[in-house]
Amino acid sequence: MAPKSCSLCQNAKPILRRPKTGQQICKHCFFTVFETEVHNTITEAKLFKPGDRVAIGASGGKDSTVLAYVMKTLNERYKYGLSLFLLSIDEGITGYRDDSLQTVKRNQQQYDMPLKILSYEELYGWTMDRVVSTVGKKSNCTFCGVFRRQALDRGAASLGVDHIVTGHNADDIAETVLMNIMRGDIARLGRCTAICTQGEDTIRRSKPFKYAYEKEIVMYAYFRKLDYFSTECIYSPDAYRGHARGFLKDLEATRPSAIIDIIHSGEAFEVKDEVRATQKTQQTCKRCGYMSSNNLCKACSLLEGLERGMAATAISDKGRRKLDGQAPTPENLRTIPYFHTPITVAIDVLPTPP
Amino acid sequence: MSDLCGNPAAEAGEALIPRKRKFDRSKICVKCKTNPGNLVIRHSVYCRDCFTSLITAKFRQALEPHINHASTGPRRGALNPSGGLLVAFSGGSGSSVLLDLVHRTYCTNVGSDELKGGREHPRKDRVWKRIHVCYVETSDVFPETSDRTARMREAVARYEGCEFIPLRVQDAFDRSWWERVSGDLSVLPVDLCRGEPVPIDALKAHLRALPTATAVLYTLSTLTRLLLLYTAYSIGASHLVLGTSLTSLSISLISSISQGGGFVVPQAIQEEWIPPFIKRIPGATSWSGEVRLIRPLRDVGMKECTAWVWWHQLWVVGKQRIPISEKTIGKITNDFIIGLERDYLSTVSTVVKTVGKLAPKGKPGLRCVLCELPTQQSAQGWKARTSIHAFEDAASPEDVPTPLLAFLCYPCHTTLTSKSSRSSKSRNLKSSSPTSEPSSTLNLPTWGAARLACGIGDEESTSSSANEIWVTKKLDTDLMKSLVGEFMLDER
Amino acid sequence: MVDLKLKIEFGGGLELLFSNRRTHFVDIPSTKQQGDREGEPVDMDFLIHWLRSNSLKERPELFVENETLRPGILVLVNDIDWELEGEGDYRLKDGDEIVFISTLHGG
Repeated sequence: MAPKSCSLCQNAKPILRRPKTGQQICKHCFFTVFETEVHNTITEAKLFKPGDRVAIGASGGKDSTVLAYVMKTLNERYKYGLSLFLLSIDEGITGYRDDSLQTVKRNQQQYDMPLKILSYEELYGWTMDRVVSTVGKKSNCTFCGVFRRQALDRGAASLGVDHIVTGHNADDIAETVLMNIMRGDIARLGRCTAICTQGEDTIRRSKPFKYAYEKEIVMYAYFRKLDYFSTECIYSPDAYRGHARGFLKDLEATRPSAIIDIIHSGEAFEVKDEVRATQKTQQTCKRCGYMSSNNLCKACSLLEGLERGMAATAISDKGRRKLDGQAPTPENLRTIPYFHTPITVAIDVLPTPP
Repeated sequence: MSDLCGNPAAEAGEALIPRKRKFDRSKICVKCKTNPGNLVIRHSVYCRDCFTSLITAKFRQALEPHINHASTGPRRGALNPSGGLLVAFSGGSGSSVLLDLVHRTYCTNVGSDELKGGREHPRKDRVWKRIHVCYVETSDVFPETSDRTARMREAVARYEGCEFIPLRVQDAFDRSWWERVSGDLSVLPVDLCRGEPVPIDALKAHLRALPTATAVLYTLSTLTRLLLLYTAYSIGASHLVLGTSLTSLSISLISSISQGGGFVVPQAIQEEWIPPFIKRIPGATSWSGEVRLIRPLRDVGMKECTAWVWWHQLWVVGKQRIPISEKTIGKITNDFIIGLERDYLSTVSTVVKTVGKLAPKGKPGLRCVLCELPTQQSAQGWKARTSIHAFEDAASPEDVPTPLLAFLCYPCHTTLTSKSSRSSKSRNLKSSSPTSEPSSTLNLPTWGAARLACGIGDEESTSSSANEIWVTKKLDTDLMKSLVGEFMLDER
Repeated sequence: MVDLKLKIEFGGGLELLFSNRRTHFVDIPSTKQQGDREGEPVDMDFLIHWLRSNSLKERPELFVENETLRPGILVLVNDIDWELEGEGDYRLKDGDEIVFISTLHGG
């Protein structure tokens, strides 16, 4: 039986059962708790300081669309004093990104934020369509992930921002905690719950939606009438992560707090000192200046693999060492432009329409 | 992954876990290289004889370095445990194999020949003078199950020199059990037990107050763990061994992580416990009654346990069934891991190995009154910030913590408060206890009640200043009841 | 056509699904009787389905899942792990002794 009034304000008629807590609450209280939790996340981690220039990694999908809206709302409500930008990456996947980029362009107008779109084509000389036609659909996600991470940093540098916020939500993080344990990825396990990460020379990156349930993000978009574009990438996903996601959904169905409980777990342990001591230290890529744990950063070795027709070799660490150790790279090889710390970089932004 | 990419794999940026063939190269045993193989264990082929010595070796490797009070590194010299040995026995194949291994390795000379002793070989029949085997019966909680104690006793009686200790899970709420195990070191005040409930009713009331089936299973296993630990302490055992296989261990680790147990999961593999009423001298090298909980089968998978049972013709009684039909986090995890293990053969060992590389982050606070594992100091503020349940919390997340919350660890707190999506409150427990009235307080197991009554924190001489308000603070019964009363769930 | 005589044993609780009997002696056809593989010699996959249809008394989901043997069941063919014998592709012979034991009985 439904309670007569919202369990938070004890007043209005409840219209939804909150996925995270199971409480039956009204629309207004839902907006309040959702936004307040994100605000708590931001203030507790001291993510920003007044005057920061912050780029929102925007894809046109639900997470980043809601993130752009909430960031704008909180920035005004709590006077964070941030300058917000939209940053989109165009992977070059026909029929996938084309439409979602339209959503981002609409957000640019609605929210009055400058937008920068950076394409793989422009940065690496390869579209994902071409990568897939070369490497097939098996390890394409590795290329795309590595390329995107660096592209976001490059795009952010060209916007002159010092911080990127991405739409990773609680489900993503809980799933990553589980996966890193199941495949023994100690290095990632140690940092996957960190709200904010920063390499030596790179831009800070953080996840204000770290504790926001995916279902609530969708619900928020629905009630705020935010439109977004939802299509799965046409290139096949990782089966293993698919299993982990299915498992997480089963857990959530039986006990909704499981997602946040897993994140709590992930924050409650750390890699033992003696294990951490054996891990690789960060350096900068000899070729492009990006942070890297090897002589060549992952993007450079993947790109070199593509350019030299040895894409498969470049994916594994072993293969990479082989590339590293081989005869000098051919001179005319296409490389990524050298990465400079983003202080004095010229600002190159699409003008905001009037 | 965020919607930056429809494909969640992307940012992880690594290759997929490769699927492998079931075994490497030939069908000949990898160890003796002569006999045809009988069993495949994670890609390697073993014949029956080599299988037996392999499992025995894994068992000893997991146990023997931890037998002496001071760590001796990779087993060197004589094995001199400080106290006796308690074997936890559930009747399942894991603990049946464990008991068999303990007996053949330390009680008889059967194993000596195949173990190829050599100079360093310890005199196995002298390692433990007394071996006890403890079984905890749950059938009184679930009338549809029958008491298996007699069959367990029979199974244990096959092993000469092992003394059987039968317990019932409601002993956790039994004053006389508590007096037996704690001696006169920690006494439950009489007024606390006013109207002294029958232990089984107290247990049932406690279970009935739990919001989910997951919580019921979690609680039963917590109670069992502490019954075993206190029993071990009371009989002077320095070691408690559990028959958790590699497979079960990885399932329970993932399940614990899914219930918020990240802080304690690193010590789930192995734990050193002492009753809170014993003061441990910091830096003491002598044994002061600690119980070391060890899982000697943690490198042995369920498949190997099953093969051991079959080839050594063990009589397996079978575990007591817990008749809960609802989905629980434990069951979901079990099905998930077993299914994944079929396609990704190294899943269970990777999970255990990974967790073995972790340590709790930050200083531990007091021990939880329910499970006696360390609590994290900031857990409740975290909970209030990340899931707002009421607006007051939102305004000041750094509020004075609700007293009882400070006594509970995150997973126990979650167990008591986190509802299922459907908030099904009635379970089959209800029908079985017509007499029990809706209780007005949460019944605590004896060790929890004793600690609350005797002043929590007394024993934590090294705990940090954040706890000092608790130290030596005695709670009178009314205050205590008002604290636990907060856990009354509105629906009951 | 001659039938194969097999000795089947169940353990680890699986016997409960098969009339609570641990040992079964069964006669099964030596070649597949229907489907596009009609006439082929019978293999372990065939036996698993045959047992489900002919011997299994309750809760088939505990024996077969997604048309294959449920994960967590140890299978021995004449005392040898079936993983060494090609699993479902193993061709049955007259007199084979097959053991199915559930490993899911916990610690």
